Amino acid sequence: MSEHPELSALPRRRSLVDRITRGVVALGGAAVIGAIALIFFYLLWVVAPLFIPASVESGAAFSTDSSNVKLVDSSESGDVGVVMDEDGTLRFFALAEGFELTGREADLGIEIEQVKPLVPLSSYYAARSPEGELLIFTIDYAVSFDGEDRKVEPVITYPFEEEPITIGNVTDFEIWFEDSEVRIATLKSGLVTLYSFEEAEEGLPLEDGQRGRLRLEEHFDRLFFGPDGRWLYLVADDGRLDLYDIRNPRRAKHQHSQRISEGNLGLGAVAPLLGRYSLLVASGGNVSQWVFKRDESGYQLKSIREFDFPKPVTRLIPEHRRKGFVAVDETGVAHFAFTTSGKIVTSASPSIDQAGMAISPRADLWLAASADGDVETFVIHNEHPDVSVRTLWGKVWYEGYPEPIYSWQSSSAGNDFEPKFSLTPLLFGTLKAAAYAMIVAVPLAILGAMYTAFFMAPQMRRVVKPGIEIMAALPTVVLGFLAGLWLAPLIEANLAGVFTTLLLLPVGLLLLAWIFSRLPDRIQKASNGWYGLIAMVPIVLIVWGGMQLAPLLETTFWGGSLRTWLLEEFGITYDQRNALVVGLAMGMAVVPTIFSIAEDAVFGVPRHLINGSLALGATPWQTLTRVVLLTASPGLFSAVMIGFGRAVGETMIVLMATGNTPVMDFSAFEGMRTFAANIAVEMPEAEVDSTHFRILFLTALVLFLLTFVVNSIAEVVRQRLRARYGSL
Amino acid sequence: MTGQESPGMRSWFRSGEPWVWMNAAAVALSILAVVGILSLIAINGFAHFWPRDVAQLEVTAGDHAGTLLGEVVDSDSLDRQRYIEATGDESLPADVAMISRLLVKTGNRRLNPPDFRWVFEQHIANTSWPNDVIAIERTEWGNAYGFIEAVTTREGTVTGEASFEALIAEIEAAEALREEIVTLQRGSLQSINASLERLRLEDRRIELDLTLDEDARVAALSDTQSRRQTLQAEYATEENRLRELAGGFEGRSITLRLADGRTEELPLITIVRAWQPNALSTAGKLAHYARSVWLFLSEDPREANTEGGIFPALFGTVLMVLLMSVLVTPFGVIAALYLREYAKQGPFVRLIRIAVNNLAGVPSIVYGVFGLGFFVYFLGGSIDQLFFPEALPAPTFGTPGLMWASLTLALLTVPVVIVSTEEGLTRIPRSVREGSLALGATKAETLFRVILPMASPAILTGVILAVARAAGEVAPLMLVGVVKLAPTLPLDGVFPFLHLDRKFMHLGFHIYDVGFQSPNVEAARPLVYATTLLLVFIIVMLNLTAIMLRSRLEQRYRGVEG
Repeated sequence: MSEHPELSALPRRRSLVDRITRGVVALGGAAVIGAIALIFFYLLWVVAPLFIPASVESGAAFSTDSSNVKLVDSSESGDVGVVMDEDGTLRFFALAEGFELTGREADLGIEIEQVKPLVPLSSYYAARSPEGELLIFTIDYAVSFDGEDRKVEPVITYPFEEEPITIGNVTDFEIWFEDSEVRIATLKSGLVTLYSFEEAEEGLPLEDGQRGRLRLEEHFDRLFFGPDGRWLYLVADDGRLDLYDIRNPRRAKHQHSQRISEGNLGLGAVAPLLGRYSLLVASGGNVSQWVFKRDESGYQLKSIREFDFPKPVTRLIPEHRRKGFVAVDETGVAHFAFTTSGKIVTSASPSIDQAGMAISPRADLWLAASADGDVETFVIHNEHPDVSVRTLWGKVWYEGYPEPIYSWQSSSAGNDFEPKFSLTPLLFGTLKAAAYAMIVAVPLAILGAMYTAFFMAPQMRRVVKPGIEIMAALPTVVLGFLAGLWLAPLIEANLAGVFTTLLLLPVGLLLLAWIFSRLPDRIQKASNGWYGLIAMVPIVLIVWGGMQLAPLLETTFWGGSLRTWLLEEFGITYDQRNALVVGLAMGMAVVPTIFSIAEDAVFGVPRHLINGSLALGATPWQTLTRVVLLTASPGLFSAVMIGFGRAVGETMIVLMATGNTPVMDFSAFEGMRTFAANIAVEMPEAEVDSTHFRILFLTALVLFLLTFVVNSIAEVVRQRLRARYGSL
Repeated sequence: MTGQESPGMRSWFRSGEPWVWMNAAAVALSILAVVGILSLIAINGFAHFWPRDVAQLEVTAGDHAGTLLGEVVDSDSLDRQRYIEATGDESLPADVAMISRLLVKTGNRRLNPPDFRWVFEQHIANTSWPNDVIAIERTEWGNAYGFIEAVTTREGTVTGEASFEALIAEIEAAEALREEIVTLQRGSLQSINASLERLRLEDRRIELDLTLDEDARVAALSDTQSRRQTLQAEYATEENRLRELAGGFEGRSITLRLADGRTEELPLITIVRAWQPNALSTAGKLAHYARSVWLFLSEDPREANTEGGIFPALFGTVLMVLLMSVLVTPFGVIAALYLREYAKQGPFVRLIRIAVNNLAGVPSIVYGVFGLGFFVYFLGGSIDQLFFPEALPAPTFGTPGLMWASLTLALLTVPVVIVSTEEGLTRIPRSVREGSLALGATKAETLFRVILPMASPAILTGVILAVARAAGEVAPLMLVGVVKLAPTLPLDGVFPFLHLDRKFMHLGFHIYDVGFQSPNVEAARPLVYATTLLLVFIIVMLNLTAIMLRSRLEQRYRGVEG
């Protein structure tokens, strides 16, 4: 070795290369497998927050110099808070750190007897002075950076004018401000005054307003604007409610009178939910949600759900951006609840006697202030109160509906909209599409595979197998395009033809079989194995014949138009892009998958079993059905399972060949929306980390698990089949 | 069988012959369906490029009465009831069951909409095929059909017989000019814009940099300012050149007389092609056809993707697929090597193999969701925070783009490559491996010099199948990077040349978008068929290549295994 130094150098380098290769391969392999597992865990990680319960923790607590606090509130961003006292002084403080922003106090210029925030706008308020003047103002939290330091300089601005409006000494008032329309309603012992300004623009004073007066026969204590500011709810503390139509503020019309609480407990608190379609009414420890609805008898409020709290509720505070609310009971404990899911999620217990309380606009902070200026803050973690097993899978009573329903409607143009996240219509759609696809695909694929593997001449089989593989390679977007733009209009125009052909095919094929059996033996023997090819021309003829015959049948049996007949006799409506089209198109997409696996299974049955059966006198068909199929049945089962998994996850065909309407209807002539198509349509626009976003991830996780489980079962069955054949 | 007459119906049924026919029919139906789908695509796709004759129709009744000039693109028959529903005309004689109608593409969308009209055959009094009618393809407002009144060139106005040749000459000049303009826009103008944008980001970076003191900051900002001024001067010069070029065609136009007698003046710079459809010989038509195919493959789309070519979509698809194969090949091969050569064979590895097989069955949209959440928002967002903070809040990588799309599709197709590579590795007989090791080679050397070369056809097959699958997948791409219309290609002459953060166009998505999100379905549909034909052709070719490779592979190894 020493005469050849180059030889002794080699082993070291070579073994280094060997070790590096081993390391790289192991790393790479682990990385790929890790990436595969990552998919599952990442989906889980995104979905998990949906089911984590809400929690509350104490935040900063401090004192301000305010006396007789009238209102406490938080800025939009949640880092600056404001306390207003009866002198009209506004004091600001940093919410997270808990100190007052000294030197930043502002004076409103009037004394405050009552001040209300103009929810859902952030930092807009209306204050009423003891002299009966109303001032609408807003706080502008100007943020500036001095190098690294972040400074906030709150400034009072007046959206309309600095001079207050005189409204007189009233018991209650409400302001409606949306889309350059301002409405003010005041209530005072039997008289409601309405002011309406149609083209209110910020920066300009309110002018050209209309004023209307409404005299009441009964006594009421509070008033609230209804939906769109076009309705008025008048509530009395003994449980009466009157509904007024104020579309024309000068001619308010009485719509309805009803009770919103029974018994003689009286009302502890009343507040409108975001959007004002619902009124929350607290009586004792029971809070009920009354929904504005319209039916044959007119407009009224109807109670759709109730919440029970341990102690009587004295204040109700709605969330600014969601359909949730806070119920504060007589001991000062704040309970956080959400209407759609009916959940009471958590609670916060301030230790002070509260004069003012507020929830931050993003619902992440709860503020409680005592009359002499002590403030306690609580940090709320309540991202997804609208999700519960019932809202995902059960029937929910949404605002504006006569009864609980399954519905998927994740978004709309307005903020007051109540998102509906029931997965049931989507699951129904997914299973319906898959079922129709399987009805088309399984017979074609399994029967076809049986023929190809058992009877077909080898020369033809050599062409058919790649042909089916080509079919498998066709992108589904192409199938979807043809389905949506060619097949759907064709079926719509020739519905009778489709049915006629479906009826004629089996009959025609039987006839063909019979004719063929009558042909001389020589021809029959020569064409053994070529039935597949021979059948093609008759099939084309039968289809053509069916189409031609259809108008005749349509006039004879279905009074000229099959679609009208279906509508009149059975009430079945016809949608151009429907389950039938999807079934045919998706069936075409799934057939190759099932076919190849089934064909492999039948072809792989050991030859000696077949030969033995034939030797014992069975016909080929009997051998096929009684021996081969039974032996290959695990493979066939596995093929169907995998095909089903494929059908469930198909996106493009469904997207293009259905109307994508989330309806729950068994009819073959209606569309549907599946999980996969839903994700494709809604994911690009879902707000990141919102409930909608995470629920879409949940549907992806459901699809993943479903196909994974189905494919695993199929794979295990297939491996066992391989083992069984080995032993045969 | 002794002493029996010809078998009766029942025993014929029992023998199973009719059911065999049913089974055969199932195969026949499937094959017919495949053939039918492919033929439908081929016929409609190829027909899109064929220059049709332009007819002049005298229509006496109905919605479109008057003289019409256009191509007859489709025909249809309505039964009695639908005819009455469509027109409200009940004056049809009772013995007429079906009424046929023609779809005429009359073009001239600007002056004479709609550009597609259904005309009932019974309302057509006269059909003629004038020889001198002109069809014009333009850069906007679709096709125009009419007769030349005059052609205004730089020299003067040409009318009569010579006008068509003058038109053709002018169009050639116009095309050369358009190309020059585009080169200018895509070349120097775009490069200057990119440099200006980089300067803006540099300014931001200077602002955000807290380590600089006041003097250094002022010096840096004034430096970028002077560079900016130089660039802006260059830009102004180039813009002037552009304006000169564009002005070169001012005033040159063609006056076209439309079917109803009105005249329209079309600026020559907007004309792509002009031809006399009824005067073309077969050779002329073939030449026109070939040119249409070439334009389809090489041009950019126009008119909201309903006209023009699909070059950006083709380019985007090819580039993405290339990038994806660069990513998937090493990972797929390494994973297969690990599973087959290096890992201890046991229940754990079997489990992993099952998992890998299953992943091929997971719906592609799930990969899209994962790609969007993990790659785009999480990884992309982090990359933005770390490397591109000056561009924020506008995302660079924290938004769907080419890189994430390729990565997602690589993840989607990795099982295909793993399975195919493993199959190739399994076929290599143990004797070969053992022989190599016995001769003193290390495992790595056996791998690189013996195993991998022998397995390379299988690897290639796997990559081809992966590519074929990725070219057709649309669902995940809708979430991670594909757009309806991308203003620039992800590969261009501006540094860094390959823009991995750009969104791109894709053939499959193009089919979906043009077919279903298009404002003018009639105009778009032939183009969608042509795009479909191209996509199907590419995929079928890839699959056939893979199948042939695989069968050659099988034959080769049948010899090796002896």
